[in-house]
Amino acid sequence: MSILDLVTEDCIKVPLESTRKNDLLHEMIDLLKEAGKISDPDAIYQVVRAREDQGSTGLGEGIAIPHAKTDAVTDITLAIGISPQGIDFESLDGEDAKVFFMILAPPDKSGLHIEALSEVARLTRSAAFMRTLIHSETPAEVVELFQE
Amino acid sequence: MAGPIQNILVYIDGSEESVTAAEYAVCLAKSTGAELSALYVVNTRALNDLVKSRIFIASEEQEYQEDLENDAQKYLDHVKELAHKKAQPIELYQKNGAIHSEIKHLVEDLDIDLLIIGELSKIQSRRDEFYNEVERAMRSVPCSVLIAKDEDLVWSHYESLA
Repeated sequence: MSILDLVTEDCIKVPLESTRKNDLLHEMIDLLKEAGKISDPDAIYQVVRAREDQGSTGLGEGIAIPHAKTDAVTDITLAIGISPQGIDFESLDGEDAKVFFMILAPPDKSGLHIEALSEVARLTRSAAFMRTLIHSETPAEVVELFQE
Repeated sequence: MAGPIQNILVYIDGSEESVTAAEYAVCLAKSTGAELSALYVVNTRALNDLVKSRIFIASEEQEYQEDLENDAQKYLDHVKELAHKKAQPIELYQKNGAIHSEIKHLVEDLDIDLLIIGELSKIQSRRDEFYNEVERAMRSVPCSVLIAKDEDLVWSHYESLA
């Protein structure tokens, strides 16, 4: 599986409007609802929030990867959000997060879920990629960056 | 004189393409008389990376490892059934680690002379070329590699086996 199979303009929001963690989770889940990727946003919020309660997925250096395994999706689903001003996501380094990858997967696709998470983790280790991503101004620019 | 194909390994990852590869492998083993083995790799390297990069917490690592091991059993059982339906003996292997290196090690350990894999996903970016684990295996194994394509045709060959 290529991460590009999951990156579509209708699941990318630049800039995000939220200024608080919970609002951001709702905003990204709503984005997936509007894109027709999910049908039960409340169920998604509950599992994503439950995972955050076990420990923030704000990894530091401006990156957060909220994720969950849930029956509320039938396939691997990815939303990308960028908040140029940053949001307090209770990240490990105490810094605001600016780039958010929300990854959801059904319970029977753990292998693909791990592949998707690994690829996102690998991408975020590239300082050049992240610098360009944070300065993207449209979903189309984000997709183009992933295609390089 | 024995033919060039005596010891086949098919790599299974749960994808439709890898199931097609398994069907092809059964057909080829039947027609050549080769021994057949199947491998599923639980990608614990990726799991460890997710823990190191703090994306996964410890409980997630354990939960996902169990999921992957259950998947491995499920898909290896499926391949065993595919082989047994055609009276083709098969050895099943489940390994934990990095996909490309586990494939290479088993090819060497079993003295495999043909590795069969499913159709590779389309390359969509330069990153795909660098990080496709099965492609890395294909390049690094010392034996010949066959990529099974055309799901319908392979299924039809498989179905027509006695």
